[in-house]
Amino acid sequence: MKKIEAIIKPFKLEEVKDGLSRLGVKGMTVTEVKGFGRQRGHKEVYRGAEYQVDFVPKIKIEVVIDSKLVPQAIALIREKARTGKIGDGKIFVIPIEEVIRIRTGETGKEAI
Amino acid sequence: MEYPAEQFKTSRQHLIDLFTTGQNTKSFPEEHTALTDQYFQDSLREIPLRRSLQQQGIPFALVALGGYGRRELCLHSDIDILVLFETKVPVQAKTLIEETLFPLWDLGLDLGHGTRTIKDCLSIAKNDFEVLTSLLDARFIDGEYSLYLDLIEKLYKKVISKKARSLSQWLVGQDKKRLGTFGDSRYLLEPDLKEGIGGLRDYHHMLWLAKASFGPRETHDHVFRARLSYQEYQELQQHVNFLLDIRNHVHLLSHRRNDRLTFAYQEEIASRLGLRDHKASFAVEQFNGLVHATMAALKTLSHYFIADLVSETKKIREIKKIHDIPRGLSIEQGELGFDASRAILENPSLLMTIFELSARLGYPLSPEARRQAREFLYLVDDSFKESETTVSSFVRIVTQSNYTFETLSHMIDVGLLDSFIPEFGMIRNRVEFDAYHIYPVGIHSLYTVKYLKELSRKDDQLLPNLIAEISHPERLFLAGLFHDIGKYKRNHAHAGAVLTKRILKRFDYDKEGIDEICFLVRHHLLLAETATRRDLNDEKVMVQCGRIIGSVERLKMLYLLTWADSRATGPKAWNDWIANLIRDLVFKILHILERGELASHDATRKVEHIKSEVRKHVAAGTYNDDLEDSFEQMPPRYLLNTRPREIVRHLNMVHRLKIGLYTIENKSEDKEKEVFIFETRNDEVGNCWEITIVAQDRPGLFANMVGILTLNDISILSADIYTWRDGTAVDVLRTTNPLDGLFAQEKWVKVQEDLANALAGRLSLEPSIGDKKIPLNAAGLKKAVRSSDVVVDNEASDFFTVIEVYAYDQAGLLYRITRTLFALDLDIHSARIATKVDQVVDVFYVRDLDGQKIEDDKMVKKIRRVLLQKLKHL
Repeated sequence: MKKIEAIIKPFKLEEVKDGLSRLGVKGMTVTEVKGFGRQRGHKEVYRGAEYQVDFVPKIKIEVVIDSKLVPQAIALIREKARTGKIGDGKIFVIPIEEVIRIRTGETGKEAI
Repeated sequence: MEYPAEQFKTSRQHLIDLFTTGQNTKSFPEEHTALTDQYFQDSLREIPLRRSLQQQGIPFALVALGGYGRRELCLHSDIDILVLFETKVPVQAKTLIEETLFPLWDLGLDLGHGTRTIKDCLSIAKNDFEVLTSLLDARFIDGEYSLYLDLIEKLYKKVISKKARSLSQWLVGQDKKRLGTFGDSRYLLEPDLKEGIGGLRDYHHMLWLAKASFGPRETHDHVFRARLSYQEYQELQQHVNFLLDIRNHVHLLSHRRNDRLTFAYQEEIASRLGLRDHKASFAVEQFNGLVHATMAALKTLSHYFIADLVSETKKIREIKKIHDIPRGLSIEQGELGFDASRAILENPSLLMTIFELSARLGYPLSPEARRQAREFLYLVDDSFKESETTVSSFVRIVTQSNYTFETLSHMIDVGLLDSFIPEFGMIRNRVEFDAYHIYPVGIHSLYTVKYLKELSRKDDQLLPNLIAEISHPERLFLAGLFHDIGKYKRNHAHAGAVLTKRILKRFDYDKEGIDEICFLVRHHLLLAETATRRDLNDEKVMVQCGRIIGSVERLKMLYLLTWADSRATGPKAWNDWIANLIRDLVFKILHILERGELASHDATRKVEHIKSEVRKHVAAGTYNDDLEDSFEQMPPRYLLNTRPREIVRHLNMVHRLKIGLYTIENKSEDKEKEVFIFETRNDEVGNCWEITIVAQDRPGLFANMVGILTLNDISILSADIYTWRDGTAVDVLRTTNPLDGLFAQEKWVKVQEDLANALAGRLSLEPSIGDKKIPLNAAGLKKAVRSSDVVVDNEASDFFTVIEVYAYDQAGLLYRITRTLFALDLDIHSARIATKVDQVVDVFYVRDLDGQKIEDDKMVKKIRRVLLQKLKHL
């Protein structure tokens, strides 16, 4: 089992979400996040006052999936979230030791 | 002995079955209470102990308490029962309880019981208001009636008479606690039918206060009738019964005592009540609307009722001296009233005037005035709705008062707002079935106006500045009130604009104002939707927004409305994250509008004209959708600055390029081949050649083209290069005539071959051009070197760094410049090359290879330095 964490542009959320669902991913966690990488924030000046945007708004998607699905999921996120411009985001793949469904106590793949 | 319990079980099950299948005709709680009473009476009749207690002269009574006392037993409600004795609890009490109560436990009912003497009851009630209030609901079931009467009499005489005031204070405290817990947004979506705001508890408080103030009465009717109008009393009963009914459904579905109407049950209950999905609203939304309306109305009723009862403790308002009170109205103790009902009949517009006065002074209407207003609502007819007096009063309430929110809320409470603007009535109690919207539409609209009016520097620095700059804030406030008025229809923003127009026309509002307000209503989602769903780094998207909005003033108003609307929607609709996105969007649109180049009215009109011309001339067989899709790909500057016939020609070339690329992809042996479409034609008028090249864009493409032309001694007079959004480069270059006029075609074939070689990396341009002798200019003299200039501008565009190069024309100049830009890792997105006599003005829209503007100061300086150096070297 792996966890895939993807940081993507906000307006790409729907496409990525729909794509992952079609792939058979049953659940995901979505968070509104802010940060910066190579795409930096910027400053606006209006009537003398400065409005600093240090962090760029992004969406973080987290899904835990069977390892076999990982290549497909990565390919899909890359396809759907790509604009070809800076700030398209990153995908992290993290090994998962165990998954437990709280209600039933099921573990492993069954609990995903 | 089992008999009464068995019978109770059967008849209770029958009642449940009727309810489950929707066949019950009477109120379930009442029937359920009656059955339970019946059980106790039956079981007491059966047991021998009763007789022996009577014979020993030990009187007792069974008394229903709490909800059971109020006949509000839902399916899984607690059954609270008091076994009352006179002065001493006898040993037999235990047996009595075992025989009457235990069978109910066996049936799985939640039973709470106490065995007490009258004295016990009184001493607990003195100290514990929970017990006191449950005793206020006491109802006799069986046993010695006189014993029960004795308890009630002593309760009022010894406890309530002394504790009435602290009881009402305790209740007020309880209400505050409830507001703290249940006023939370989660409870607006998933209300608690009992403890929630506007829940059954509010009704109970009315009951207890009424009883505590007026003494023991078997029926509450009289009490309520003294305080409520007949209609209000009927409504109260209706609301309570409705909530009890829903609560019973919740019990049934959750199989336990549960008062929380959670999402999981809402849909099911809606369908059980016979509500069906409509085009405009789901059954569950209609249902939530009903629940909310009921709870809101119950809250209002109990609020007035209780305020009336505890009014002695009310502080007398500090009264300002008020001179200009309109005729027919009066102020007493800080409350507004009508002089007489007759005054309203003679002058119905007083119904509005009194609220205008309330909005002006911040004083509420007296309970009596509210009742009168409600009763005379029938006077609100068409002429009232169109009357200049009432309309201007209303507009002043919305736009000029500091108490707009409170006044409009009160107008909703008495029903005036719904009568005056029936369109508003349609949406008032609409509840969206999601976690995003926490208020029903009506309250949401009021909050939107409230936030707009209360904008303070604390929330944000920018927004108060903007509102101060707006020339007609009143339009913004009206737009805030009406923005969701189309909510009961699909595409509510559009429908809302239509309805708003109708309302404002009825108001005889000025035409420009109507246009502005309707615009705001129609596009109130534009910014939020664009910010979250579209690419903010795409200039075209920003330009399209700019064109829809059209003016800076409108953009400011739209931004403020978006902010207020989102805040009034709920915490999920507005946070730092989305605020950043929207502000970024607003600034980008602002810059485009301020520059005016791409989004002015002229530009918008011109683009529409060009598009329609292209549609006319495009080759037969082109699908409309394909054409519209191609328009989407064209950058704004291209669409604005290219003639329709040229666009048609380019479309054709792009089409051929796509076919070429497709063929290559499917044939592996051709992988090496570069694909581009090359066309030349003699421009007779300009006495020059025009080259059009269409290719997949990549860094250095333009430099290569310019290099090849330079190599072939063709100098470039002017150029327009554009990169479409799908990465297709469309470059048009105008040249001086090729040197050998007779063999022009051969020359072009060679240029084309060279270009193919250069793009495939088989021809290295740098050494070839370096070898070339720089031709002398026409005068045969080397130009006197005059200083050139380079301007790197990051202000002109949010999306590109604009580099302007001013220089004197020399052969190879453009190649040097483009080659240098390529070496600096800059990607040319579009460019305009122009030569006027011997002065060259080149404008390049560039980004770095990451697609970002060049904002690093060092890099900006470097670009300038390197370019100037290259220009000098020529």
